[in-house]
Amino acid sequence: MKEGLSQLEASWLQQLQQHSEEALAKLMKHYYADLYNYAARFSQDESVIKDGIQEVFISLWQRRETAGGILSLRYYLLRAVKNKVLKALYYNDRRAGIAPPHAGYEFFHEFSIEKIIIERQISEEKAARLKRTLSLLSRRQQEVIYLKFYQHLDHGQIAELMSISRQSVYNLLHETIQKLRSLWHTDFVTR
Amino acid sequence: MIKDYRLFDITDFVLDEDFIRWVHEQREEDELFWNDWLRRHPGKHLVIAEARRILESLTTSQEPVPAEVVAHEVDRLLQTIRDQQPAPALRRVRSRHTRRYAAAAVILLALAGIAYFALTRQAPIRQVSYAALTAHRQLVENVNTSGSPIRLTLPDSSVIELAPDSRIAYAAGFDSARTRDVYLSGQAFFDVARMPNRPFRVFANDIVTKVLGTSFCIRSFENDTTIQVTVRTGKVSVYTNTSGRAGAENNAPGNPGEVILAPNQRLVYEKTAQKFQKVLLENPLMIVPAEVDRNMVYEEAPLKKVFDAIANAYDISIVYDEDLLQYCTVTADLRKEPFYRKLDLVCRAVGATYEVIEGQVVIQASGCN
Repeated sequence: MKEGLSQLEASWLQQLQQHSEEALAKLMKHYYADLYNYAARFSQDESVIKDGIQEVFISLWQRRETAGGILSLRYYLLRAVKNKVLKALYYNDRRAGIAPPHAGYEFFHEFSIEKIIIERQISEEKAARLKRTLSLLSRRQQEVIYLKFYQHLDHGQIAELMSISRQSVYNLLHETIQKLRSLWHTDFVTR
Repeated sequence: MIKDYRLFDITDFVLDEDFIRWVHEQREEDELFWNDWLRRHPGKHLVIAEARRILESLTTSQEPVPAEVVAHEVDRLLQTIRDQQPAPALRRVRSRHTRRYAAAAVILLALAGIAYFALTRQAPIRQVSYAALTAHRQLVENVNTSGSPIRLTLPDSSVIELAPDSRIAYAAGFDSARTRDVYLSGQAFFDVARMPNRPFRVFANDIVTKVLGTSFCIRSFENDTTIQVTVRTGKVSVYTNTSGRAGAENNAPGNPGEVILAPNQRLVYEKTAQKFQKVLLENPLMIVPAEVDRNMVYEEAPLKKVFDAIANAYDISIVYDEDLLQYCTVTADLRKEPFYRKLDLVCRAVGATYEVIEGQVVIQASGCN
């Protein structure tokens, strides 16, 4: 969750430098769900996502001897997956003759209201309002929220990954939380 | 850098890595730290509750990727990198040791294979079955194959109401001097005879419920995804059966996995996540005599008095900022109202709201003049 590598990650990286396929397999297994989930924010095409993740790990293997320079595996992998998937989308669009949007991309983050109702025990009406509030968030706000609360990147990493300043990351987070505060506050909260 | 949480507002908490870790991962050390911090700063309960709420509404568990898919993708990756492996670049001077090296390499590979298998095989979620608990023991068993609950009286005069499709077993004569152990599969309501020196323990699949004398219900069918313990009177202690053995003593009270359950609380144990969650019953019952209810009419009564009365009647803690609400008074007739209706009426009278967090009621209000 913090900057720096966990002991486990550090030991995997070390094994990877010693050409351990086992370490590579473990790494992929460990991060697969998170990477898949993140990639699915950019593309709904399962094969694009899976191939993108494959390529990321293949290139990690190819540069394994210099893998010691990686400061945060999670950040490294997320960034690599994002780049691969966006690149694939760009080329697919080009091949299909669609002019790719300039330097932009969509970010789909479906907040699962059913899950919130079940996991948090809140009323359906409340959940519907929550969903409405969340769906009004901008694409950037959703991505910041996702990277912060689902992937646990720090503000510096989020800033780099989204090519924005740290201050913008903080502002985006701040605005979102203010919206949610007023949602919970003005309301008569029953279970 | 040491953070001074006293200066934090709600947003600061929601964005704080340590706070997030506490809410998301519920680690023991974080529980200790935050509970202690809250004890020292009782005025911060509400800020924390609201920050928790916001954080929780932002995150739900992610869609998992099926294990087979991951395994398949890992295989595909390993296949690719093996195909790409350049032919061994080093062509050493051939020696007659080559054969021996080759043999050693084969053994190493085999060992690596075994290690790989052993290390990557996911630790199976340990689930303890009734059959395993009761095997190799001299037990008396009662099975309810009828369509309605049956009543059983145990040798210590505790009474059990056994639900249909459920079975219960115990040592003949209940002969252990130290404990009274029963094994349950299915659902049963227990009214336990009080014996302070001989704890009554119910082994229900993965969890153990321990009491001295009280009444409670356990639902633990092998096919359910959860095990539930509901307390009617008294208090019970519940912990996971980590050893998988019946009668194991390694779970001394006070161990980190132990949860104390009060009346009107229900403990839900999720088998796959191996996690406990405390919830309040939908309709908590009073644990005090009915006369108490008849006195619950208030006129200009201090809020503290009313909250104390409700908290005592149901044995449910109500958390609020006493300083902030010290001037609030309540005029209300709470007689014969169910628990949540009582809370609604009081909250409405003082312009407050409430929510239930971890089996406690947390009041949120802006104060009275």
